[in-house]
Amino acid sequence: MKINSKGVAPGNGNVIELKDIHKIYKMGGEDVHALRGVSLEIKRGEFVAIMGPSGSGKTTLMNIIGLLDKPSSGDYRLDGENVNRIGKSGQAQIRNRRIGFVFQAFNLLPRTTVLDNVLLPTIYGESGDGRGRAQGLIEKLGLGDVAHHRSNQLSGGQVQRVAIARALIMEPSIIIADEPTGNLDSVTAAEIMGVFRKINTDGATLVLITHEQELAAWAGRTVRLLDGRIIGTEGAGS
Amino acid sequence: MKALKIARQSLHAVFSSKARSFLTILGIVIGIGAVIALMALGNGAKKDLTGKISILGTSNITVVPGADVKEGPGAMHAGPGQRLAGNRGASTLTQSDLESLMEKVGSSQIKGVSGNIAGTSIFTTTDGEQRFQVTGTSDDYSEIMNLGVAEGGWYTQQEVSNGAKVLVLGHDLAQDIFGEANPIGQKLAVEGADYSVIGVLDTMDENGVTNPNTGGFIPYTAARETFQTDNFTSIVVQVQDDAGVEGAKEEVTAVLLANHGAQNVDLADFTVRSSQDLLATISSITDIMTAFLAGIAAISLLVGGIGIMNIMLVSVTERTREIGLRKAVGAKTSDVLAQFLIEALLLTFTGAIIGILFGRLLSLGAGHMLGFSTIVTGGSILLAVCVAAFIGIVFGIYPAAKAARLDPIEALRYE
Repeated sequence: MKINSKGVAPGNGNVIELKDIHKIYKMGGEDVHALRGVSLEIKRGEFVAIMGPSGSGKTTLMNIIGLLDKPSSGDYRLDGENVNRIGKSGQAQIRNRRIGFVFQAFNLLPRTTVLDNVLLPTIYGESGDGRGRAQGLIEKLGLGDVAHHRSNQLSGGQVQRVAIARALIMEPSIIIADEPTGNLDSVTAAEIMGVFRKINTDGATLVLITHEQELAAWAGRTVRLLDGRIIGTEGAGS
Repeated sequence: MKALKIARQSLHAVFSSKARSFLTILGIVIGIGAVIALMALGNGAKKDLTGKISILGTSNITVVPGADVKEGPGAMHAGPGQRLAGNRGASTLTQSDLESLMEKVGSSQIKGVSGNIAGTSIFTTTDGEQRFQVTGTSDDYSEIMNLGVAEGGWYTQQEVSNGAKVLVLGHDLAQDIFGEANPIGQKLAVEGADYSVIGVLDTMDENGVTNPNTGGFIPYTAARETFQTDNFTSIVVQVQDDAGVEGAKEEVTAVLLANHGAQNVDLADFTVRSSQDLLATISSITDIMTAFLAGIAAISLLVGGIGIMNIMLVSVTERTREIGLRKAVGAKTSDVLAQFLIEALLLTFTGAIIGILFGRLLSLGAGHMLGFSTIVTGGSILLAVCVAAFIGIVFGIYPAAKAARLDPIEALRYE
């Protein structure tokens, strides 16, 4: 398939197309069937929550969508491109350019400034130094006053906003947020969800992995997972 | 560009935990410091020794009796080995050998010849009776050995031919015996024979083989009678210039072989050796010593390298989540490998630079205390830097590979 300069396939508006994804782990000699035929499409500009209890396979699904893991079988197209057969270094390159991660545990570099944390993905990309873009994101996310503070001098809400800026710096096709408010109090959590909604309004495609119904309510569509299968979809496009 | 950005990450990691980085490189600092200091002392000692030998004149050839068994510096004429050993017996260097060589003077590379008979005598000094070295020589000897006369004069060819009982004293010996009094014209007994003092030498530099300041010199003809020996302990031949030494050695050998009726060098009952040979021998000994000491110091570098590997392994474990994050945002295996390898190299190079400065200080201090010269050569610095690079790679590669191999999912989950 022909791909344009931004790595976006022309034609249909799906960023993510999963078809009959299975994932089987070997654990202690036994096969664990984490995903049992998941098919899912996510359109550009969508905000999708993937919900399910622990053990439902939502983390496995996130790892596969985020190209941290490969499906055992099934078909995964990212921006229309088949990414099933891509090797480790190719996966790293796609993660760098097209996927932004926001983690529950924030995972900022310690003893490193906000600006340098935001710039982290640019180290591994081929684009220029991205300093101007980083400054813009820092301002946009209300971190202008702390841009040169070290990550250990920030509050929880600020830390997660730095992580969101870091996920946005490469202008990825999709941002995957894994329980992004799990380590925050409810007020800060709401503030962070507001940030997600805002960047979604500005055009970012979001996938939120959570087990909390309240958080899923922020998303435009909720996909429910149980025992490795999609058991229901609510909201737009369902 | 990417390599530079990754290097900057390594730099940040090294400098953001300064205390730990310093402790990590301490082993390398001490190791490199020890290598630099010991090599500086070794090179300095070599320079001091060869400098002393050079005072003898690098264009002199010494003939000693006996086949070429390795006798070391003691085989040089009147060397330390003979100083107190009394008169040497059964020498094969005869008056006719000396005369044959003297015939060559002027017509070849040979500039001067002296037949020497080593002996000792007891003199009464201001500190009581002591035994000193007294050497019988030809009249050319003072010129061959660059001996300057401070008072009186050196004996003439005439006095040598006549077997005159005249004595030239080294500067210190003259003072030990006569104190402030003028020694010239005084009588002095050498092994029971009466000699008159005709000259006192300038203070001469010690040359590492003999100390002319504490010896006495008499005509070899007189020495023959006084020490009751016929033949020479050694014959010293002065060559026109350094370049002619090898040719002159061959010539001297040919003359003496003919005199002694020997067919070839293997059958010779004498040994011809140049100061350059001695220099080469001493250089090789000091080189071996230097290499030996540096080798011992290098063991501490090995220990330092293991220290670096240890801390790097701890660091990789501690930074598992960071590594996971880097991989999640697009770091390839090779990027992570490069980052940690550069970290190891930064540590070892910083250690090497501090170690070189530390070693220089150490060698200056030790040299000052021991009275040695110390020389830090470009070669030893280059060696230190190469060793540091080697250690950085060898001991850095394992922790770096361990970091690079981490699975991002596992690493991000690591508590």
